[in-house]
Amino acid sequence: MANQAPGVRIDGLTVVYKTPAGELPAVRGVSLRLEPGSITGIVGESGSGKSTLALSLLNAVQPPGRIAAGSVEIDGLGDVTGLRGEQLRKARGKHIGYVFQAAQNSLNPLKTVGKQLLDLGRSHGVDDLRGLVREARELLGRMGLDGARVLDSHQHELSGGMRQRVGIMLALVLNAHLVVLDEPTTALDMITQANILKIVREVHAERGLTTLVITHDIGVVAEVADRLAVMYGGRLVEQGPTREVLGAPRHPYTQGLIKAIPRLVGDIDEARALPGRPPALATVPKEGCVFRERCPSRMDVCDTVDPEPTADGPRIVACHAVTAPVAEPGTLDKEHA
Amino acid sequence: MITGTGVVKTFKQRGKLLGAREVRALRGVDFSIPKGGAASFIGESGCGKTTLGRIIAGLESYDEGEIAIGGEPMSALTTKQRQPHFRKIQMIHQDPYSALNPTRTVHQTLHAPLALRAKQTGRSRQWMEERAAEVLTLVGLDPGTVLARYPHQLSGGMRQRVVIARALTVDPEMLVADEAVSMIDVSLRLGILALLKDLRERLGVSVLFITHDVATARYIGADGELYVIYRGQVVERGPVDTIIADPVHPYTQSLLSAIPVLHGLERPGEQPVVPLESLDESQSDEGCLFARRCPFRDERCASERPLLQITTGAPQEHACFHPARRDVIARPMSEV
Repeated sequence: MANQAPGVRIDGLTVVYKTPAGELPAVRGVSLRLEPGSITGIVGESGSGKSTLALSLLNAVQPPGRIAAGSVEIDGLGDVTGLRGEQLRKARGKHIGYVFQAAQNSLNPLKTVGKQLLDLGRSHGVDDLRGLVREARELLGRMGLDGARVLDSHQHELSGGMRQRVGIMLALVLNAHLVVLDEPTTALDMITQANILKIVREVHAERGLTTLVITHDIGVVAEVADRLAVMYGGRLVEQGPTREVLGAPRHPYTQGLIKAIPRLVGDIDEARALPGRPPALATVPKEGCVFRERCPSRMDVCDTVDPEPTADGPRIVACHAVTAPVAEPGTLDKEHA
Repeated sequence: MITGTGVVKTFKQRGKLLGAREVRALRGVDFSIPKGGAASFIGESGCGKTTLGRIIAGLESYDEGEIAIGGEPMSALTTKQRQPHFRKIQMIHQDPYSALNPTRTVHQTLHAPLALRAKQTGRSRQWMEERAAEVLTLVGLDPGTVLARYPHQLSGGMRQRVVIARALTVDPEMLVADEAVSMIDVSLRLGILALLKDLRERLGVSVLFITHDVATARYIGADGELYVIYRGQVVERGPVDTIIADPVHPYTQSLLSAIPVLHGLERPGEQPVVPLESLDESQSDEGCLFARRCPFRDERCASERPLLQITTGAPQEHACFHPARRDVIARPMSEV
């Protein structure tokens, strides 16, 4: 595979989980493109399916979950949903780097970071282990850490921000050019978060990566991502260039989410929580729009027809009120009554 | 009214390998929270804000200084005598998932503190049931649907509301909310913040809010006091809106500069302050505690510790030799 940022094309991806109530979709009919060299941010609340979507990039959805439909094409790898066993193991790490949610807890507490690095190198058949250590030291140094000291440390000797940087180092050290960061700054305080986001941006540019950031925090995406995708109830409800989406959100959920962020200036009464609560796997509506229960622009058609994602230039929105803003006669009558 | 004067807390770490090490969690903190008032403690993790909150809630002892509840100094009392005072102060923890017993229904969770209350005041079982329904309604839950549920059947936001309802069963005078919304879904956070504000207004409960996210502190009320804490010392304090709009301490300014900017909706401040290095507990205790990380330090800062003093022409106090106003926070594009 070439040493350059790969593009990713996710098409019609559906991931289901087996439950006592039958197989329920955590991700349903999601199509998303990651342009080579871009940073894409996926925003969603708990249960929105964002982590499941990210795991699908590694074809790492664990039973009782499975990829039921769709494809994930990655340049240089092909459709990863078709990869099995050894092929898959090799692709992970070498082509796709994954920084897990709570990277602070994904390190082995019994081994030094250096030993874990060597384990990683051996399991991927790296011959030049010295070179690997050198590369790791450089990466850690690049992120403002004392590489030698960190490699000699156990995880309990490192702060949350340092562990997060170790996670990023482990994801990049095998020279992966597609990197997935799942909640990279959760549990970090503001100054450390700002520092990590700066590192993500810089390392992305310097190494020529395609980066996917998964988060519940729109602020994180606003700081790093070129493109923003919003997930709700397993569906991608809106996507587009970050600044455009934040400046003029179209989907009612995106609008509500942005309004719900506490800000530093302005009238605090303008910020308000969304009514209701996000759906869980079992409570996602079987038909119709997934957001309608909490939606201020709900129409009759929303109860029965799931809105298709519709493109308008670089922006894609799945909402009846946006794509067909003319209200049906039925709804008009109701409003007048 | 709860006041603290010169509160000091030192944790002694025992260790055979590294020897005993002392962590100075609080280095003489003064505060005052009026009845029905609001205050926020802001700072990075490890700054001592949670320790101070725990001391105020009676969950932690202090080494020096004094905490007075309703004018009564706590150090003069025996542990047993203190109990009724500290019961008036209830803590709401960060993680509603671990704050509730998973094997107990909401009804059982509320029953225990209510039974104690009923015994003390000679109330009936009937009163307990009514009171349980009442506190649930106060926090915006429907008693009919949640009473019989277990924690795993509730969303994060609902669980946090149950935790708050449990705190209300003992008629507290103050709620100490330690990062109470950081684990709640974004779309529901404001609901919990609005609830705390509402309880303040309706029941006259004072609220102490402990957080690293300055923006959420605004939602407790504009009359609230903000205390910016760094390595166990209050470095700046004043009315919430003043500290956010016109901070003069470089540490407060770096906290505010670190808040993500919603590009497309906001433009960043023009003079952001970025600390020179990250927080290291082993940094020297000499001079200004922030000096090593401060971009504006000079020789004096390395040798002398600035004390909290009144900021000229402003309603706040700061502990810095070189206070200066800087444009650090992001503002909506529409304001330009």
